[in-house]
Amino acid sequence: MTAETSAAENPQRISMFKVLNPFHVWALGVGIVLVGEFMGWNFSVAKGGAYGALIACWVIGLLYSCVAMIDSEVTSTVAAAGGQYTQAKHIIGPLMAFNVGLFLVMAYTMLEAADALIVGDLMSAVAAATGYEGLSPQPFVVLTIAFLAWLNYRGVFMTLTVNFVITLFAFLAIIALFIGADPLNPGNILRHSDLLTELPYGWIGVVASLQFGMWYYLGIEGTCQAAEEVRSAGRSIPLGTIGGILTLLVAASLTWYVATGLMPWQYLGQAATPLYDAASIIGNPSLQVVLFIGTMFAAIASANGCINDAARAWFSMGRDRYMPTWFGAIHPHYRTPFRAIIFLIPIAVSFAFTGLLDQVITFSILSGLLGYTFMSINMMRFRKMWPLDVIKRGYIHPFHPIPALVLLGLCAAVYFATFLGYGASLLSIMAFYIVASAWFVMRRYQFVKRGDQFTMPWPRPRGY
Amino acid sequence: MIYWEILSYAAWIVSGLLLLWILVDAISVSREFDEELLISSREGVDEILDEIKKEGGIK
Amino acid sequence: MSTYIPKIQHKRGQLIDSLFILVLVYVSLYIPLFLESDTKSAEETATVQSYTWESLGVSAVEQEQWQKLGYDEAAAAEIINDKFDYTIDPLMLAITALVIIGYFFFVIRISDRQYREVIEEKFGADETSSKQEATQ
Repeated sequence: MTAETSAAENPQRISMFKVLNPFHVWALGVGIVLVGEFMGWNFSVAKGGAYGALIACWVIGLLYSCVAMIDSEVTSTVAAAGGQYTQAKHIIGPLMAFNVGLFLVMAYTMLEAADALIVGDLMSAVAAATGYEGLSPQPFVVLTIAFLAWLNYRGVFMTLTVNFVITLFAFLAIIALFIGADPLNPGNILRHSDLLTELPYGWIGVVASLQFGMWYYLGIEGTCQAAEEVRSAGRSIPLGTIGGILTLLVAASLTWYVATGLMPWQYLGQAATPLYDAASIIGNPSLQVVLFIGTMFAAIASANGCINDAARAWFSMGRDRYMPTWFGAIHPHYRTPFRAIIFLIPIAVSFAFTGLLDQVITFSILSGLLGYTFMSINMMRFRKMWPLDVIKRGYIHPFHPIPALVLLGLCAAVYFATFLGYGASLLSIMAFYIVASAWFVMRRYQFVKRGDQFTMPWPRPRGY
Repeated sequence: MIYWEILSYAAWIVSGLLLLWILVDAISVSREFDEELLISSREGVDEILDEIKKEGGIK
Repeated sequence: MSTYIPKIQHKRGQLIDSLFILVLVYVSLYIPLFLESDTKSAEETATVQSYTWESLGVSAVEQEQWQKLGYDEAAAAEIINDKFDYTIDPLMLAITALVIIGYFFFVIRISDRQYREVIEEKFGADETSSKQEATQ
């Protein structure tokens, strides 16, 4: 059947299915992040020593608690698929929204590429262990991305239900490792008193380690992206997000505790799969298998969530014509942003095949960081333009404006950390966003319908 | 071991089939349905709005 | 109140715009490779010498863990002696800070201008009409 062509007279519209519950929100948020506990966080140990990494874990934990609180409040009033992108559109303005949309798409697509590479590398490692050296990871990288894209294409409910199961397994694997390390008898397996050293680079090393401390939590803010598909979003998203950040704080602490009690910091700082190595040192083969599967599942869950979020951000930008409108389509049967999903497949694969993993990851982290900086500014404007008594919020975060200011301060520290480690990359990534912004103002904005940018039933903002 | 080589080829083939399926479906959907309908979703058409209106959240 | 009528973009323009943003991403991914200012100084590790666990400052327990991981003195020495250099170039730091602050300043300024247009079109030009309900 064909719909009438005149959109103005035809009220028939398709929208996404509202099928998700808080567990799906939790699975989306934690699923994206948890891979960071299996690998990646430990580079902060190389930057600042074991204690430096612990300080980074807590400081960045504070950063993300601010992010979760701020996000929950704004999202409990702005429920749309674009998440922070939609917030930016309503609170700061179109150019900021365009940038936030790009932060989201870049951060998630690049993280997805890194995740798929992990799966490929793990397959090569298994092949090598069984006597087949030099297995190319490429077919497995492509298979991971293709399968997850297919899953995403077929519907959000199945996608995030799968994510819930594999994320839960990965989380339980961390718990199993903790129990396997016999934490009640320190000195038996865990040798903290012999392995923990002073700060090897002093406090500058601690600051530098903040950059990789992001890995413990990077991506938890992606829960907002599900807002258009969650039942009673105003309650489910704060619940799933804050549950997610608590899960991650637990997982991060356990991870640090076990890993630093088993490995000298110099080794830990460069390990590719630190938790799997920890299981190997403990020497329990079934624990090794559990951690191997856990690592694999964590990487898959992360890539899966990333496809979900990146596609929704890209879709929302298409729907508003910030990007070509062609991407703003929804599948009439599966109700997914199917063209955005398809478009991002070759991009993710090409990122994975560039061989620039360092660059890609830095791009991902920095895009996330730019997004957090935005959130802080966003929150201050939100409270000023619509004070608490003007619009009803499903959740109100305490101690405003302290979380927003703390977030801004911590972001500045992480920029400095990125400067210490990847100064040139930082500048070239900033150049990307600056050129893209100029392009948006000079070319794309002419296609955007002004009044349509404000869709929430809020009153006129104060001061405008 | 030949086993890993077969697995690699299988991975390529399965990826190819999945991608092909997605592509065919996307093209057929784009042909079958009107473009206006496909891009007809609107932001903010949402239960949260009804909720806010019902509870008189806007003053 | 004037309502802005946006241009309609055709398929070819949409394709060009999608490709433009992609090219931009790849360029910015490859730029640092050409600048090569991220390379760590590798001279220190060039000297080949024989290491003992003692000379590396590795305690007995640490040594035991290294060995469980399958590392001998030489392999461990390579990792242990690979250190970071945290010297700060004040000029580069100043430039970087300026770029980031300037970027946010620029984005927020322009956004504000665009936002006023959006609000005007949505709620009408008159400031006193702020009480009116959003008409859908």
